[in-house]
Amino acid sequence: MALKLQRRAFLQTAMAIVAAASSGVMRAAAAGNDAVTIGWPNDIPSWDPNQRFTPDAQPIFKAVFDQPLDQDPQLNLVAHLIKRWSLAPDALSMAVELRDDVKFHNGDKMSTGDFRYTFFERIKSGTKLDTANSWQKVQDIVIESPTRAVMKFDSPAPTAPQWMAFLGSYLVPKRYIETAGLDTFRSKPIGTGPYKLVEYELNSRIVLERNDDYWGPKPKIARVTIQIIKDPSARVAAIQSGQVDCTVNVPVREVARFGKESGFAAELNPITRVILLQVRNDLAFADENVRLAAHHAIDKAALSKAFYGDAAVPLSVVATPGTPGYLPDFVFKYDPELARQYLARSNYGPGKPVAIGFATTNGQFPSDYDIARAIVAMWKKVGIDANLEVIEYAKYFELNRATKLPEATLYSWDNATGDPEIFAGYLLNPKMPFSAWKGMEVGQKVIDLRGVADYDRRIAGYRDLNRFAVESGATIPLLQSVLTVVRKQNLTYAKYANGWLLPQSMQWT
Amino acid sequence: MGGPISRSLRSARVLVALGLILGIGFCAAFAASIAPRDPAEQNLVATLLPPAWVTGGDPAFPFGTDSLGRCILSRLIYGARTAMTVAVFASLGAMIIGSILAHITGYFGGAIDWIIGRAVDVWMSFPPVILSLILMVGLGTGLDKVILAIVLVDWTRFCRVLRSEVLLVTGRDYVAAARLLGFTHWQTLLREVLPATLPLLITLLSLEMAIAVVVEAILSFVGLGVRADQPAWGQMIADARQYVYQSPWNLLLPIFAIFLTVTAFNLLGDGLRRTLDVRLAQSAR
Amino acid sequence: MFATVLKLVGRRVLAAIPILLVVSALLFCVLRLLPVDPAAMSLPPTATVAEVEAKRREMGLDQPLPQQFLIWLRDVLHGDFGRSIHLNRETGSLVGATLPATIELALFAMALAALLGIGGGLLMFHARNTVFEAIADLGSILLLSIPEFLWGLILLFVFGVTLQVLPFTGRLSPGLPQPHITGFLLLDALLRGRFDIFLSAWQHLILPAVALALAFSPAIMRVLRSSLFDVYHEDYIEQARMRGLSERRILLVHALKNAVLPTLTLAGVQFGFLFSGTLLVEVIYSYPGLGNLMVDAVRNADLPLIQAVGLTYCVVVLVINTAVDSLYVVLNPKLRVR
Repeated sequence: MALKLQRRAFLQTAMAIVAAASSGVMRAAAAGNDAVTIGWPNDIPSWDPNQRFTPDAQPIFKAVFDQPLDQDPQLNLVAHLIKRWSLAPDALSMAVELRDDVKFHNGDKMSTGDFRYTFFERIKSGTKLDTANSWQKVQDIVIESPTRAVMKFDSPAPTAPQWMAFLGSYLVPKRYIETAGLDTFRSKPIGTGPYKLVEYELNSRIVLERNDDYWGPKPKIARVTIQIIKDPSARVAAIQSGQVDCTVNVPVREVARFGKESGFAAELNPITRVILLQVRNDLAFADENVRLAAHHAIDKAALSKAFYGDAAVPLSVVATPGTPGYLPDFVFKYDPELARQYLARSNYGPGKPVAIGFATTNGQFPSDYDIARAIVAMWKKVGIDANLEVIEYAKYFELNRATKLPEATLYSWDNATGDPEIFAGYLLNPKMPFSAWKGMEVGQKVIDLRGVADYDRRIAGYRDLNRFAVESGATIPLLQSVLTVVRKQNLTYAKYANGWLLPQSMQWT
Repeated sequence: MGGPISRSLRSARVLVALGLILGIGFCAAFAASIAPRDPAEQNLVATLLPPAWVTGGDPAFPFGTDSLGRCILSRLIYGARTAMTVAVFASLGAMIIGSILAHITGYFGGAIDWIIGRAVDVWMSFPPVILSLILMVGLGTGLDKVILAIVLVDWTRFCRVLRSEVLLVTGRDYVAAARLLGFTHWQTLLREVLPATLPLLITLLSLEMAIAVVVEAILSFVGLGVRADQPAWGQMIADARQYVYQSPWNLLLPIFAIFLTVTAFNLLGDGLRRTLDVRLAQSAR
Repeated sequence: MFATVLKLVGRRVLAAIPILLVVSALLFCVLRLLPVDPAAMSLPPTATVAEVEAKRREMGLDQPLPQQFLIWLRDVLHGDFGRSIHLNRETGSLVGATLPATIELALFAMALAALLGIGGGLLMFHARNTVFEAIADLGSILLLSIPEFLWGLILLFVFGVTLQVLPFTGRLSPGLPQPHITGFLLLDALLRGRFDIFLSAWQHLILPAVALALAFSPAIMRVLRSSLFDVYHEDYIEQARMRGLSERRILLVHALKNAVLPTLTLAGVQFGFLFSGTLLVEVIYSYPGLGNLMVDAVRNADLPLIQAVGLTYCVVVLVINTAVDSLYVVLNPKLRVR
């Protein structure tokens, strides 16, 4: 009997040893010179890049597809598929000239036909696409030649160029989609990008191979494997064990730890993403005193220190440093005493707290849940009793539409363009699903600014708006978000101010 | 029932288990006096401290702090309160519903037995974890919802196991004799059947408490358990996973707390089973 | 024997149909109780109230509940299990993509649990009447008290994070392609002759499978031990002893053969629980199976997906129970009917 057991145990131990031993071999094989494995927090929503706006998916889309315009690491607009563009002074039309040397992965030549299809025909055909919202002003796209076209808008679209480099604006192949069908496109996507999709496992991995016919600079990395690892601690383990060469969105303390370990490099990159509280203009927040008190009571520096290693810049406006809408001289103080005074004016205080609802996500962005809980404690000290509820990101829109959001919601907003319209112009626009604030003193200003075509006037208007919104308690900005990146020491990448981690910019040194 | 009770109290298992349970229950009941600090008190400058016996630890926080600077020891103690509350009320609820139905169906048989039996079959063909997840999505989060969800899922286990016992007992002579003597159905049930099934009931209750603690931990871990402001061991584990490289203790300590509590209830159930000499059907763990 | 098994399976399938119907109806109702609006959720955030209403009519959500259920049923009979709101894909294909992963994990874990359970049970029995008995007994109770999700975390911490000897995310190392034949990686790797894929899949299965096995084997151990006790009271054991057979032979050849039946029944029941236990283990190990799909669906309140995955779990557990009962009939000559 003992022998039988011994044999069994021996076999299992042997297997385990073999497994452990070969795990070492596996590790060494991963770090090739023209291959890279990236640990990514989320899968893409769909291979149709126009379908769902997901900031986290943009770097992956940008590998397989191209946008008409691109941004450089400092976020200036640069020509990409569009060689030249000119927005009319009244912003009612935009003339574009496309490159003539671009081919889709299946060999089809890109032309203005695809441009019209992507930004007009697809949208009008009724397919459910998020680009239907970003390009709803498009009245028509007049094709002048295979490379020249004019977009016509039914109302001024001053940020049309910025949107060409923003969420969801990727060129898709008209002929391929029309002949093979949308379902085939979604399972075997074809783009013009520097990489081709060669393998896809839902929620598991994406494998890309270099497009050797790419019209632009050839990427140094020939093969990119993106492993979807949803759990932050699993991502940390993956980079630690060498299973991946690079990963993002790991806890901030891990960045400090990896920074000290040899063979690794770790960075906290501030990006054009804002962490803020979306607030309502009614319920318990109808009272401006309560709103302003809530803002003054938050110690943003403490939040940054506790959860972002001091790397997250506290914000007083809904814009990040370095973007046109930012106001470096305007500071909204952390002052719990002032907060108590505001509350006292409405007969509230630590003994008689005002009750509000507060929603947050958990895991949507690093430390979201921690920040929310810390804020609840800060509010308690001044006399605001917040009932915290965890929601899924998608639920925010549903609650907003039904006007069932609580008074405050912790929110993270990405604006890869840096343009102030895509900060306050969306976050505080009562006509858009993102804003919980429906008050028209701020709302009307936002709506008006969307039609201003002159760039300088527009920017000045947004700077005023940003200040006004905060002073009237219509928004509570908190911090500039940081992107945490951990990578093998000899893997470099281009650092974009909006946090894009592009495989085509990576190389081994 | 003097005999079984004194027998149980002489069993080492039962004594150890009772000791553990009383200890944990004591923590739960007197948490306010025992816990060194308020479990919700945040210290943003003292986050993720190790336990006091490790370098870098602070004696003010004996077991260290979590990502919000809250005292782990205090949270463990208050977490015991959450766990014990769920354990006691959820298992009592499941027991009451399950045993009432079991006694009725086993004793009366016939159509009622068939209907309830089929209902139990349907209910039990659903994996319990899945069912509780779905229920929590529908009911919303909160301590009372967790208790309700566990009751709704687990009453079937009591029902099925007790029913066979009830059938066995009902078939015995003294029950028939009671009926012949003129006792009503209810009187017979209460005076003759129930005392005979009581040992099994108590054993099942103890095991159910173990299960309830685990289910609560699972639901809190997935984020569908008690509210955010209530300390719960499952929530502590979920939080600690993100920081496992820096503060392994934050993960290990609540795991140990769950392990200790569940072991205590399992030991008690096992000890009672032996001393009360009852043959359990091969029910779930 | 074949006839008995067929009859049993047939009866089970017939009994299963109403159960499945009721279960799906229950699921349907519970999910409709959710304060969630599937129409609103399947539209982009900027949809107007009018568009939501139109979508609602299109999805048939304005109809009475029983009617909605019948529509759903009709679709299911045509093979249309609904469309995931969040992922915008057929739930059938989503389940099809993830189910083999979970089955593979469950089978692997069950094999380990059976090995551990039988081995452990034999050991515990062999240690009877010695000082080790109490220790072994206590040990198995302690083991019983650690649910699979705690084991998952402990093993991840010890072998993944601290010792770093085994991987703990996904099914395969990043560099390796997934051969798409059956969906069972171990099998597919062998069919393709790729030993490296086989090894990687094996490594990725170890920690989650061991976590499950450790959680579910103690029950098997204890049942085997107690069945062995029962069997040892039988006459033929004494007779074998008198024939001069060694204790080891008696235990392994004669007793085990007869004691294994109730153990197998329990193991079969355990398999059902083990299968539902894969959910948490998959979450902990980022294993792309049915469990992760379910948790995502629940978190996103994706009703059609919750329904489809919930039903899949039920069906699998029913299949397992039927298979176990059939196996029981096959192995137990007393149950066979001519």
